[in-house]
Amino acid sequence: MKPSYQALSPILGELVWNQSPSDELLGYQLAYLTHIQNQYSSDLVEVRQGFTRLSLVWKTLLNQQEFARILKDIQLDPIKLPDTVWEVPVCYDPAFGHDLAPLAESKNLSLAEVVHLHTAPSYRIHFFGFLPGFFYLNGLSSKLLAPRKSTPSIAVPPGSVAIGGSQTGVYPMQSPGGWHIIGRSPLTFFDPKQLIPVWAKPGDQIQFVPISVSQFDNWKEQLPKSVQK
Amino acid sequence: MSQVQGKAVLLRCPPGSSLQDEGRMLGTQFGIPSSGAMDQFSYRWANHLLQNQNNALALEMAQPGLKIQFEQACKISLAGARVVVKVNQETLSNPAIISIAASDILEVGGFQSGSRLYLCIQGGFQVDQFLGSGSDFESVTFPSKRSSNDCLSYFSFPQSFPIGAKPKWGTTWFESAEIKAYPGADWSLLSAEQQHQIQTSTFHLSKFSNRMGIQLEELIPNQLEDLPTNPVFPGTVQLTPGGRIIVLMRDAGVTGGYPRILHLSEEGQSQLAQKKVGDPIRFQLMESIAVG
Repeated sequence: MKPSYQALSPILGELVWNQSPSDELLGYQLAYLTHIQNQYSSDLVEVRQGFTRLSLVWKTLLNQQEFARILKDIQLDPIKLPDTVWEVPVCYDPAFGHDLAPLAESKNLSLAEVVHLHTAPSYRIHFFGFLPGFFYLNGLSSKLLAPRKSTPSIAVPPGSVAIGGSQTGVYPMQSPGGWHIIGRSPLTFFDPKQLIPVWAKPGDQIQFVPISVSQFDNWKEQLPKSVQK
Repeated sequence: MSQVQGKAVLLRCPPGSSLQDEGRMLGTQFGIPSSGAMDQFSYRWANHLLQNQNNALALEMAQPGLKIQFEQACKISLAGARVVVKVNQETLSNPAIISIAASDILEVGGFQSGSRLYLCIQGGFQVDQFLGSGSDFESVTFPSKRSSNDCLSYFSFPQSFPIGAKPKWGTTWFESAEIKAYPGADWSLLSAEQQHQIQTSTFHLSKFSNRMGIQLEELIPNQLEDLPTNPVFPGTVQLTPGGRIIVLMRDAGVTGGYPRILHLSEEGQSQLAQKKVGDPIRFQLMESIAVG
C-alpha cells in the first residue's frame, strides 16, 4: 500500500492511494500522517485527510520537491488502529427521524430492521469534514445505501443521524443537508469552548445504541461512554 | 513601544463584514473550515504597510457603507477594492495608510472596482484566538460576524512610527479575466472535450457566490460519478453531477466528494475574490508542477 504523490500547485500536493476505503488503508494513512508530522512539521502548513488521499500544504515548492523525491524510500508499516469504541445513543423515533419511514419503505424493510441494520456494526472514523465535528464513517450495511435526497433539507437539527450514499454520520450543528435523517442523538458532537472541540479521533469506532423518546428527553450527559474492544 | 487599549465603534457595519486573518489551519483536522481573508494578497499588503505581524486580524468588507469611530489614536491601512474614503467627512486622495486621531470617524463609500476591502490597524484587531486564529466563523467563534454598534478592540501606540512613503495599491491585477489554474487532482478523469471546453470558455460569476464558494453560470455537461470524499482547499474547483462549476473559497468545508478538476493559483484565488456577480473569467491552465 505505497502511495504515489501528485503535486497540485507549487505548495499543495497529495499522497494517492487507489484502493477502496478500509481499516487497512486507514492504518497506512495514519502511519504516513504520523511520520510526516514528526519529520516535516517545520516545512508544512497543514495536513488534511480523506478516504483515499492525504493532502499536504507545504511552506515552499522546494519543501514539496524534497519530500516527493524521498517518498519512494519511505517504508512504513500500518499503525494498529485504536480499540476505542464510543457508544452514541440515538433515538430512532420517527419524530426525530423524519426520513426513516420513507427510507424503510423504499428498501422493503420494517422500521425495526433499518434500526437493527444501522446499530449492528461499529463504524470506523476516518476523518472530520463537511462541517466542524462531522465524522466520516466507514462500515454502513450495503442494505442501507441510499442516494442523497434530490431536494436538500434547509435546516437539519443538531444531533441528527443520517444516511447519504454509502455513508452514515451525525450532524454536529444545524445545517442544510441532503442526507436521509433516521434519528437523533442527545450528545454534543462539537464544542468550540473546548481546546479540542471533538471527543473522538480518526481510527476510533462509533457504536450507535438505540434509546427511547423518554430516555432522549431525560438524557443528561453531553459526552458518550467509551469502551475498549 | 508603549501601548494603550483602544476601541472602535462600528456606527454602521455593512452586511457580510467579518474579522479575518491568514486562516485557522489548526482547526481543519476537526472539520473546521480554514476561513481567513478571501483576498490574501490585499490583506497581506495592508498588514505589511503597518509593519504588522503576518497573522494580524483585519476587518473584511464585501459591501460599501462602513462608518467607524476610533476612540483612541491609531494607524490604519486599506487595500483591496477601490473605494472612496472619508475621514470626518473629508475625502482622502490616497487612503492607503491613514493616521487616525482620537474620535475620528471613517466612512467607506461605493466600491468603484473590486469586491472586498481590508481595513488593517497597527497591531491588528484584538480578539480571543481559537485554534491559532481570530477569523470569524459561524458556530465556531462568537460572534461569527460583525454588526452595527459592535465594538472592535485594538492597541493604540502613542509613539507610532512616522508615515514616510505614500504607497499606492493598484487594482489592475485583479481586473484581468484570465485566472491561472493548475490541473486538479481529478482533471485526468475529464474527457478531452470537457478539458477543451474548460480551457476555452468564458465563464461568468453567478449570484451564488459567498465566502464558502463561487458558482459559475455556464455548465459543463458531466457524467462523472461522485468520488470517495477527499480533502479540498480554498482554490479547489469542483464539478458537480449537474455540470456546475464551483470554486471553493475560504469558508468551504475541508473535504468534498465532487471531482476536483482545477486548483487556482494563489494569485488566482485573490483575483477571483475581487470579482463581482456577472464578471467574466477564463481559466488559464498552467503546467502541472513537476516534482520528484
